[in-house]
Amino acid sequence: MKLKHLIVATAVASLGSVSAASGDHYADFPVTLNGYDGDATTSVAYTGQMARHVLHNSLKKLAGSGTGDNADELLEQMLAYFEGGDSLDIIDPASKSGFAIKQSEVDAISTGKNLSGKAYGGYVTGWPGQMTGAEVLRFMIEKAAETEGGYDPVNGYNYAQLISKFAMGAVFYNQAVDNYLDERIEGDVKPNDKPYGEGDHYTGKEHVWDEGFGYFGAPAHALSLDAATAYSIAKQDPDVFDEADYNGDGVVDLVTEMTYAHAYYAANADKGGQSNYLNTIMQAFIDGRQLIADADGEKLSDDELDQLQGYADTIKSNWERVIAEAAFKYAGSVYSDAMALHEAVEEGDSVVDLMPTYVKHWGELKGFALSLQTGGKDLGSVGVQLDRLIGFGPVLLGSTQVTGIDGDGDYIQSESITLKEYALNMLEVQKLLSQNFHLVARSNDRLGNLESLSEQLESGANVEND
Amino acid sequence: MPGFNDVLSSLTTTFLDPSKRVFVGYLFLAAVIGALVWMAQGRSWRHYPRAVLSRRIWWSPSARADYQILVINQILFLFLAPWLLSHLTLATWLFEQLHRWIDTRPSVGLGWPDWSIPILFTLSLFLLDDFARFWIHRLMHRVPWLWAFHQVHHSARVLTPLTVLRTHPIEGVLFSLRSAVVNGVCIGGFVFFFDSRVDLVLVVGSNVFVFLFNLAGSNLRHTHCYLRYPAWLERWLISPAQHQVHHSAEPRHFDRNFGAVLAIWDRLYGSLLVSEPTAPKRFGVTRRRRPGEQKLVTLYGSPFLQAARVIRRWVSVRTTTIKQVNKEGRAHG
Repeated sequence: MKLKHLIVATAVASLGSVSAASGDHYADFPVTLNGYDGDATTSVAYTGQMARHVLHNSLKKLAGSGTGDNADELLEQMLAYFEGGDSLDIIDPASKSGFAIKQSEVDAISTGKNLSGKAYGGYVTGWPGQMTGAEVLRFMIEKAAETEGGYDPVNGYNYAQLISKFAMGAVFYNQAVDNYLDERIEGDVKPNDKPYGEGDHYTGKEHVWDEGFGYFGAPAHALSLDAATAYSIAKQDPDVFDEADYNGDGVVDLVTEMTYAHAYYAANADKGGQSNYLNTIMQAFIDGRQLIADADGEKLSDDELDQLQGYADTIKSNWERVIAEAAFKYAGSVYSDAMALHEAVEEGDSVVDLMPTYVKHWGELKGFALSLQTGGKDLGSVGVQLDRLIGFGPVLLGSTQVTGIDGDGDYIQSESITLKEYALNMLEVQKLLSQNFHLVARSNDRLGNLESLSEQLESGANVEND
Repeated sequence: MPGFNDVLSSLTTTFLDPSKRVFVGYLFLAAVIGALVWMAQGRSWRHYPRAVLSRRIWWSPSARADYQILVINQILFLFLAPWLLSHLTLATWLFEQLHRWIDTRPSVGLGWPDWSIPILFTLSLFLLDDFARFWIHRLMHRVPWLWAFHQVHHSARVLTPLTVLRTHPIEGVLFSLRSAVVNGVCIGGFVFFFDSRVDLVLVVGSNVFVFLFNLAGSNLRHTHCYLRYPAWLERWLISPAQHQVHHSAEPRHFDRNFGAVLAIWDRLYGSLLVSEPTAPKRFGVTRRRRPGEQKLVTLYGSPFLQAARVIRRWVSVRTTTIKQVNKEGRAHG
């Protein structure tokens, strides 16, 4: 009797492990579209999003490649990646020793894709000039073309960082959380009992969900990777090539096996062991996709739509926190950089090495802070405070700061606070982000020691007498 | 809004958290040390449990008032806690202000061994806290309207370890403020100068020096176990006997031994009294018991009336003095 129980238990456990293994991978969900009689074996499709990831990666590389005298040529090149072009090479990620990449052209992933057409159309309050997200990106691209290495020391901008970090928010985050995981998962929009578009082999809801997943930028097998490995894949570290090459074909497929954008930053935050954003978001994407697959081509019921909305909410809230964690980290870096610069100025030391680092970190902070405001959610006073504390540009050595743009598109600088006061603003930014987005990873926390020490000591009521 | 479970949890924490004075482990240790003292006085250990658990002590009107105050204060402070100044708020404020007050943020102790800064921080925190306890305690005795509230603690006629929590809520608020200032100043200051190298040396979740103090029988201070230290040691550390002298109803013992752990503060301010061979005869504010002195309404309400009287008298004296000065001024003019 006992043996019989053991055999049954083992069989159940084995079944469980088989289903868990297949459930780890965002792939191979079957074709469920009623009446489909084509050859496709899976309904999963998100190549358009992955093409945009490589467009973004390549654009970032170009933004940092200016020589100061190739502005027109560089601008044309960058705009091709931003607005779309024919036969574009993948500049990044490209094959390197020990880390071979399958595709070398954008068209090999998907054709006719661009970033500009999908960029946030709302007004960006944190950048001067009253521009939309797409206009801000184009403005930055034009400025980047005129610089050397994407670096503008006069106004304190690193365009490679600004363009990259803001594009991730204005395109990927905005499209996913304010479009695909928002109005498009409602019942009557892109229903599950009809193809997404005419002639498609996947249903409306299947493809909507896939597109949301694609924008996140995680490899399809991310759940089987630890955070450090998922992070190192984006860095093309040869040590993790075998883990990246999931199907073992000797090359990394840029559609299914690479880490990009916010998935990379989720892994970066999770590496510290305090958070679990990558797994949480991946699991919600897989669970949501399984729910749609289980509907077997029928329209989703109200209960199923509620459940799907629950998965979408998990993804959206955690994705927002990933961006806030990154902004938090760079606010800490800007604090240290501003203090170091202040000290160097006081001591009469050189700032040649300090300034580019400060400007780079500021660009990263600003890009992520702007991104937080592109998710379709009104951040209210938090957004206003972030804009005011960070400003339109970093505080420069003479206590000046960019405060606007004139009619010719040139920056206007005005007298501002000191570098030391600006460093204190960064502490306020960290407090603001930490409190409003319930951050847990809090990398580079400049106030963390205060908090951890305070937690160790009794606070509040203390009625012990002497 | 705190509920029944919060009150229960707060009460449980009082006895199960090693950072609290009346943690069961410390109470047990105090009982063991008390037994040793009992036997050292030539008495049989067989009689010790009966003496320690005497109903005359533990069920006296004074002890019962202790229990009631303990529960009422726990409930009261659950509501008050969100309004009290937290040491994190103060530490953050100081940390930011130091950036403004000091031109460049110095990196102190860069070549020091890793263990040195946590020890320095823990020791500084202990010393500052101990001094602040002494100073506030002294103030409670010397400022009449503060004494009105502190005398609730001194109105205990018998001392049990729970007497340590016999505190008027107004005094409790002042103690919380004291803790916030001490902890906030230490944390904010140390983190500014030593950055992330600051840490607290903890033993079972409690400051190592506070842990040692509690381990050494701190709870005997509020008992009838008259444990004296050698006279030379009582000039450095306050013994349980010295604290019992502080609670004595004898006028010659009034305003002595304000210290919590260290006796050096009392020496500096001239209030130290080493223990005498015999224990004080009675505890309390007055020699004679006053009717209703252990009633809750008296313990919670009368300090407000007394404080109001003191303040009214002070205002009246000030007004009279000012009038007199003005009158004299006009006469001279």
